[in-house]
Amino acid sequence: MASGNMSLNLKIWRQKSGEDQGKLVDYQVQNVSPDMSFLEMIDVLNEQLVRKGEDTIAFDHDCREGICGMCSMMIDGKAHGGFKNTTTCQVHMRHYKDGDTIVIEPFRARAFPVIKDLTVDRTAIDKVMMAGGYITASTGNAQDGNAVLIPKPIADEAMDAAACIACGACVASCPNSSGMLFMGAKISQLALLPQGKPESPKRALNMVQTHDNLGFGNCSTHAECEATCPKGISIEHIARMNREYLKAAFTYYDKKRSE
Amino acid sequence: MITSAVNHYYRSSIGRKHLVALTGLLLCGFLVGHLSGNFLLLMGPDAFNLYGHRLFSLGAALYVIEGGLGLVFLVHLGLALRLTFENYRARGNQKYAAKKNTGRGTTFMSWSMPWTGLVLLVFTILHLINLKFGPYYTTSVEGIEMRDLYRVTMEYFQDPLHVAWYVFAMICAALHTAHGVASAFQSLGLNHGRYYPKIKAFSYIYAVLVGGGFAFISVWAHFQGV
Amino acid sequence: MSIKLDSKIPQGPLSEKWEKHKFDSKLINPANKRKFTVIVVGTGLAGGSAAATLAELGYNVLSFCIQDSPRRAHSIAAQGGINAAKNYPNDGDSIKRLFYDTVKGGDYRAREANVYRLAQVSNNIIDQMVAQGVPFAREYGGYLDNRSFGGAQVSRTFYARGQTGQQLLLGAYSGMMKMVAKGKIKQFNRREMMDLVTINGKARGIIVRNLITGELERYAADAVLLCTGGYGNVFYLSTNAKASNASAAWRCYKKGAAFANPCFTQIHPTCIPVHGDYQSKLTLMSESLRNDGRVWVPKKKDDSRKPADIPDEERDYYLERVYPSFGNLAPRDVSSRQAKFRCDEGLGVGPTKQAVYLDFRDAIKRDGLETIAGRYGNLFEMYERITGDDPYKTPMMIYPAVHYTMGGLWVDYNLMSTIPGLHVLGEANFSDHGANRLGASALMQGLADGYFVIPYTLGHYLASTPLEKVTTDDNAFKDAEQAVMLQTSKLLGVNGKRTVDDFHKALGHTMWDHVGMSRNEAGLKKAIHDIRNLREEFWQDVNVPGDTGNFNLELHKATRLADFLELGELMALDALERRESCGGHFREEYQTEDNEAKRDDENFAHAAVWEYTGANSSPIRHQEELQFENVKLATRSYK
Repeated sequence: MASGNMSLNLKIWRQKSGEDQGKLVDYQVQNVSPDMSFLEMIDVLNEQLVRKGEDTIAFDHDCREGICGMCSMMIDGKAHGGFKNTTTCQVHMRHYKDGDTIVIEPFRARAFPVIKDLTVDRTAIDKVMMAGGYITASTGNAQDGNAVLIPKPIADEAMDAAACIACGACVASCPNSSGMLFMGAKISQLALLPQGKPESPKRALNMVQTHDNLGFGNCSTHAECEATCPKGISIEHIARMNREYLKAAFTYYDKKRSE
Repeated sequence: MITSAVNHYYRSSIGRKHLVALTGLLLCGFLVGHLSGNFLLLMGPDAFNLYGHRLFSLGAALYVIEGGLGLVFLVHLGLALRLTFENYRARGNQKYAAKKNTGRGTTFMSWSMPWTGLVLLVFTILHLINLKFGPYYTTSVEGIEMRDLYRVTMEYFQDPLHVAWYVFAMICAALHTAHGVASAFQSLGLNHGRYYPKIKAFSYIYAVLVGGGFAFISVWAHFQGV
Repeated sequence: MSIKLDSKIPQGPLSEKWEKHKFDSKLINPANKRKFTVIVVGTGLAGGSAAATLAELGYNVLSFCIQDSPRRAHSIAAQGGINAAKNYPNDGDSIKRLFYDTVKGGDYRAREANVYRLAQVSNNIIDQMVAQGVPFAREYGGYLDNRSFGGAQVSRTFYARGQTGQQLLLGAYSGMMKMVAKGKIKQFNRREMMDLVTINGKARGIIVRNLITGELERYAADAVLLCTGGYGNVFYLSTNAKASNASAAWRCYKKGAAFANPCFTQIHPTCIPVHGDYQSKLTLMSESLRNDGRVWVPKKKDDSRKPADIPDEERDYYLERVYPSFGNLAPRDVSSRQAKFRCDEGLGVGPTKQAVYLDFRDAIKRDGLETIAGRYGNLFEMYERITGDDPYKTPMMIYPAVHYTMGGLWVDYNLMSTIPGLHVLGEANFSDHGANRLGASALMQGLADGYFVIPYTLGHYLASTPLEKVTTDDNAFKDAEQAVMLQTSKLLGVNGKRTVDDFHKALGHTMWDHVGMSRNEAGLKKAIHDIRNLREEFWQDVNVPGDTGNFNLELHKATRLADFLELGELMALDALERRESCGGHFREEYQTEDNEAKRDDENFAHAAVWEYTGANSSPIRHQEELQFENVKLATRSYK
């Protein structure tokens, strides 16, 4: 029950604000228990810093159970530590051993500017969603939930895509800082479901355009995103997006869409 | 409206990827044709030279085909360079101090695409200079005067450095296409759980056969002598 | 008595109240809606659905969340499902039965009319969410699938794997994003509400802190919707997200909004047990696990054998034994208490002896590994990741943990608090769950409030209330902002020795020990005493480094804790005054012979509603009597 006895060397990115030049700073943290989560280990370090009257390390976190998508961090060069289907808050210290040196950096992408230390601004994801990551179904006019049948495999596949938590690990780990996986997941989810089909072409065109304008990179099919995605979302969804986009680019016609 | 949709397509990341994929697959098709032609070297000078002669006798049509091929090559190259540059910029000014791959995604092949691509660019230029626009020997087969391409090729490969460079370039071609072919299918939206493993396998087989095929011929030519 | 509690429950038969009320509500014509601005604080299911719907109707919405995106609100963590009275499985469900189960599940401490309305709109929620692209689980024929949850004998729970809350929230969020793109919602991320601004007695704005810059910002509106969730984090360890807090609601309480039933907290029976003092939060394992998992402890004390080596006859499947008809699906309060009893008897398992087994051995034998993996695969994986144990091979160890707070700001039938214009939705209000919430009902309530209730009742308020024009230059804004600044500089100026978390953990221990699953008079009095001392110490010895001018996480935590330290006392006081046991509120003095909660309907069939009277005087306890005209008050039995 007592705290453990691992001692770790941490190299943590410290940056006061977006305008500031940051650097890696060395820290030591003692009494780390293997049952601690990675974030609890940083909590311990922050408690030490408070006691010394120093500014604590800013990092995003909230639910600490792998679903809110707040936590981020590149741990030893890998998003969320690079464990399969795992967010940073779900990484436990039993994966590390006494004396290890761990480098911790923020997610890096032009579209995700650093706010402070390990905290980055991911509103670019919201902006991509705003461009079409929804079904226009205003409250009140929905028909019965069973009126349109959805075969189980289709519903399941849509759910696979919908599981995205928008943490941005795909962008952070992609050698191109591309946002294709989170965007593809949404486009794919809504293209699979009959409810989402009517808007599918417009959605694909607008979301892709917004994605590009925000400064995300392109897809080179490294599949590094799939490998680090804490929800295990497959790049098949990127392929479905590509199909939707291709169809839309050559067939979508809307007089009102001014270009 | 149609133009604007196409415009949108060309300007978007996915549209450009489609074009890179399409041109890449066309180039892969060309390689298969080129390689089958090269195998005629094994059948002796006459077979090979006759093949070359038939191609030349296409006349204007050949220029159209060559021009098309050149265009496909340039589109592939130009867009790929542009995408690579954009990708570099997308990381932002501050790069990672310690970036590692998980080992489950990025491979050496996917990572090295821009580099193997550049090798292939240099290779293609040299290849055209050394062989296509190389020495002009003539020979006569079945009484017809024609260029002795067999001799040009065989002479070129007598230099071990030429062979080494050629084999290196073909390894790059294999690496480039091993990732490129499957990736092209993905970019074109043709990734589905049921087929993709087969597409990937096809991609590897293609890379080994084509890269290996070209490399084999260069080594064979070296030992065969003029 | 300065506040007047008028529940505004419409007249007429129960099933017609809501229809009648909607018809009687005033409307605002579409062209005039755009003249009104509404502030929505919080973007969970309640806030998200309200913001989207109000914007669709034409109101200008200002939406605030503390996370970096509205999609991260803690509704996202709800796993199991959402109830609706669709009766698709043809197993005897109906609006009336959902209503009845919810009132009974809440141990008869909720308002009949509210609960009935909730059951009525439950079906619309499913339809709406399907239309918005929520990939609910389906059967092979393409129809929606259902599963069963605690406290009900019908299958009425709709689900999207173990991520129902996430999918519903993303549905609401997507609706919001659509309206943000149209400019009808202005979204403010990383903003925390610091105070409510009232002008002429009406809620007209808020002061928020921009968490990144540290600056205070003022926003004015015609009405304020508080959708800020519950206050479970007063216990430090809970299943709530780290940033979940009570401050917004608490500041409103101090501005005159009455707080109802603060002692009604839900302790969820299936959480991963505490394993160390560094622990920062507790993880819930979905109640759905109890569909197939069997809960047991060894019959012998200190049985050191591996669970698999303990034969069936030496296991006590206590839920099945005590509650033969509901078995492992007994409601949450009951199941939690039984787990505590077993551990108190010394039968607990694991290194701390504060855990019981949840075993899937028999389910795997019956349905096969694949079926069980299909149902719970992601939850099993989550469990293994945290504990290092594989639930397919060895039973899970679980223990109750604080999960949800039924208490909250008092609201009338229109979801309006005692401050005109301040509406409270979702977990932040007290209205629908009485003394205990049934599983899969929180999602239902949040969305019901946001999608289908507030659009009507807010319209009525705006149409029938004279609202003078106000700007953020008003003195009320200045004063509120000043007060916040004062508190902030006070916090930063203490320069003590103890960290914020240190104090929070101490508060949590007191709350858990004395205001937790089982309460008694002496303990509650001690808790009140201890919390007062702790609060005093906090203001003398807390250490908050840094300054206001940047992203200062310690300051954010300290501000929230300052409010928890006051709220904790009110919870203990409320628990002390409620001299009965009901639902999640178990007073040891009031129990039946077989340790079940013993209600006192004669004296406590009411909501206890607290009015703030100032920092140095005790709050006043009011009562809203609950009328049960359609449900007969009976001893709640799940046997």
